[in-house]
Amino acid sequence: MKIRSGRVRWLVLVAAMMLVVAACSSSGSTDTTAAPGGGGDAGGLSGTVRVWTHQNGAFNDGLKALADGFMAENSGVTIEFETFDYDTYIQTLQTALPAGTEADVLQMFGTWTCSYASNLASVPSGVASLDDARSKFFGAPIEGYVCDDALYGFPQEFNIEYGATLFNNATAAEAGVSGEWDSWDEFVTQAQAMTETVDGNMLRAGYNFTASDAIPYTFYSNILQAGGSFLGDDGFTIDTPEGRQALELMVSWVDAGIVDPVLFNDESNWVGDSFFEESSAMGLVGPWVVPEYESDFPDVAAVTEYRLLPTLAGSPDFVADSGWGLTVSKSSEVQDAAWAFVAYVTLNAENAAEWNSASGTLPALKSNAEGAAKDALVADFPHFEPFFDLLQYGQYVGHMPDRDLVWYDITYPHILNVLQGNESIDDALAGMEKEANETFG
Amino acid sequence: MQRDAMSVTISPPEQDDLPELQPPKGKRFFGGREGAQKKFVAGVMSPVIAYMLLWGLIPLVWAFALGFFLYSARRAGGPFLGLGGDNPFVGLDHYKAMLDFSPDASLNVRQFHIAVKVTLLFAFIVVPLNLAITLPLAAMIESVHNRVKPFFRSIFFIPVLTSAVGVAIIWGFVLHPQRGLLNALLSKITGRLVVISWTTDPNLVVIGIPVALFAIIVAYLWQDIGYNLVIFIAALQAIPDSVKDAALIDGASAWQTFRYITLPLLKPTILLASVLTMISAFQVFDLFQVMTAGGPQDQTRALSLDIYETAFRFQRMGWSAAVSVVLFAIVLVISLVQTRMLKSNWEY
Repeated sequence: MKIRSGRVRWLVLVAAMMLVVAACSSSGSTDTTAAPGGGGDAGGLSGTVRVWTHQNGAFNDGLKALADGFMAENSGVTIEFETFDYDTYIQTLQTALPAGTEADVLQMFGTWTCSYASNLASVPSGVASLDDARSKFFGAPIEGYVCDDALYGFPQEFNIEYGATLFNNATAAEAGVSGEWDSWDEFVTQAQAMTETVDGNMLRAGYNFTASDAIPYTFYSNILQAGGSFLGDDGFTIDTPEGRQALELMVSWVDAGIVDPVLFNDESNWVGDSFFEESSAMGLVGPWVVPEYESDFPDVAAVTEYRLLPTLAGSPDFVADSGWGLTVSKSSEVQDAAWAFVAYVTLNAENAAEWNSASGTLPALKSNAEGAAKDALVADFPHFEPFFDLLQYGQYVGHMPDRDLVWYDITYPHILNVLQGNESIDDALAGMEKEANETFG
Repeated sequence: MQRDAMSVTISPPEQDDLPELQPPKGKRFFGGREGAQKKFVAGVMSPVIAYMLLWGLIPLVWAFALGFFLYSARRAGGPFLGLGGDNPFVGLDHYKAMLDFSPDASLNVRQFHIAVKVTLLFAFIVVPLNLAITLPLAAMIESVHNRVKPFFRSIFFIPVLTSAVGVAIIWGFVLHPQRGLLNALLSKITGRLVVISWTTDPNLVVIGIPVALFAIIVAYLWQDIGYNLVIFIAALQAIPDSVKDAALIDGASAWQTFRYITLPLLKPTILLASVLTMISAFQVFDLFQVMTAGGPQDQTRALSLDIYETAFRFQRMGWSAAVSVVLFAIVLVISLVQTRMLKSNWEY
């Protein structure tokens, strides 16, 4: 009996320790916030809707404000938010969705949606049809949520990285350039004037386009502008005359000396850092970067504008990711309430505009890119203004197994290699096409 | 000879003379004083063993298993741990693919080959350099006055206590092409503006080794030498003075004493330090990730970084698990070879 009770004690001790360890590991870094609400069933909907989002103060404050409004209209529904830091969120989605332990509503970056489509609920026809959605939203943001002709959610923002460049007015004034151009030649001439070189070393780049996002967006957007395409039913077609034209254009900028791709790239002098530290006069990055830097660099932010880039052949077509939006889990037991909340946030133009204003993002809904909604957004974020003229030209990057792999591990290194003079254009085009198509296998 | 002269032969007792040592039934394991000791050992070890099983053995087995699947956590897969279905069993395909050295090999495979080369290069440069710096340094510190020894030990050990990410960021500042301390110093010395991209220029190669890799080696050594230094100082202090005194009496110089007395006696410690440093060199991740992120053009893509990128950035967990098994095998083989080469058959 003595031995048996001793063994039992040890088993209890080990079990208790394992429970403590498991509890510690599962609590992680998630931050659970319950929005106030609850009560009756006035709107016909009821239940608790759990919402997962990544931690972004402005995004979540805007969403919680809308949740309060939704719960006021639907007193039987309670919205509970659980937020995760970005990296944890990605890993949580990756593990929770196959396991079926996810929340009811999942914030999703549109470009990821089809990777998880087998675990997501398609949009009920009563909420919106695919045609309705395509008519209401801009093409680039909505297409990320369309997988095999089925719609799996709605975007909240238009994520844009190409079409306009950061422009430092003070540097331009010192260099005596206007910042107005009608062609790439005029653009390059002005960029050259703003470039500063000492003893053969570049201290300030005229136009910094050599970061890991800027290079792929520039390359693929210029393929579109040259009249080509790079992704179809048969996979990637990059080694094409249009691909060559786009790459030759980028090489010509380096040859003109407006950027040194050895000094300016993703690992050194990243475009955001470089622009606000004034070692780049112009830089290609989306408008989200300004709020990130303006508190640390108020003087530079005060003289910063976005200027539209020239086009290759007239039309400013560009590739864009599908930005953040909302989806519903297939295993949710409160589908009706979940979809009602998603529609309230994304399809109601007034609410969607309110969220764009709170989060500092460009609208995904076409109706919010004009009139009073646009004016209100521009009043809050003047840097957005030039982008409104571009949104209609945005084309979704397309469905591919791993967009990050194609962008950061294939396109960026090959093109940077060409720009640094270590790979021929022929080899780079062939290599990118082969490697990008391997991602399908 | 001395040992032979003093040896005493003890004959084992006859089997029949042995007393009955069997403990009474029921008290075999935990009875009496010995039982109390066993209880204490079991009590102390149980949490550690549970911890090791939970966080060490299970992930290890899981990694070995995943290496046989085309697994991605993004795909639903089969009902048992997500294996099968959309995450199919591929047997040894990953390992066979690793042996494809043709120019048409897939990007995965070519990056794996680069990573193996970078990691081996890093480890085989770092280990001898580390030992070549720390051993003489330890001997020098041991030779100074006792009052200043702690000062030097602290100076060299402080970097070991710093965060590797912090070290990488600081070295990034030092090596920044335009605002870095090193280029500023070179500019002062040469009287002209020097802008060298130490960590981002793929054409900067010395004796076939990328300068970016050298930059990481320097940062690694700066942070790591304190660890081996302390080990060598402890080993030097353990060598009996009488042995060295005997050598001095025999007319040996300081160098001869070090070369023929101290160094051979340190052989087990050198083995320990080289194995630990080699294992640590194969596991370095932070410096590679923060200082160069594998660049320029994959010139510093170490295996640890390759595993991280493929597993957590691009979700190719099956492939990544297979690569981690290869890393495990490489470390195991090299450690066994080191143990064999530096093994000594005696102690002092």
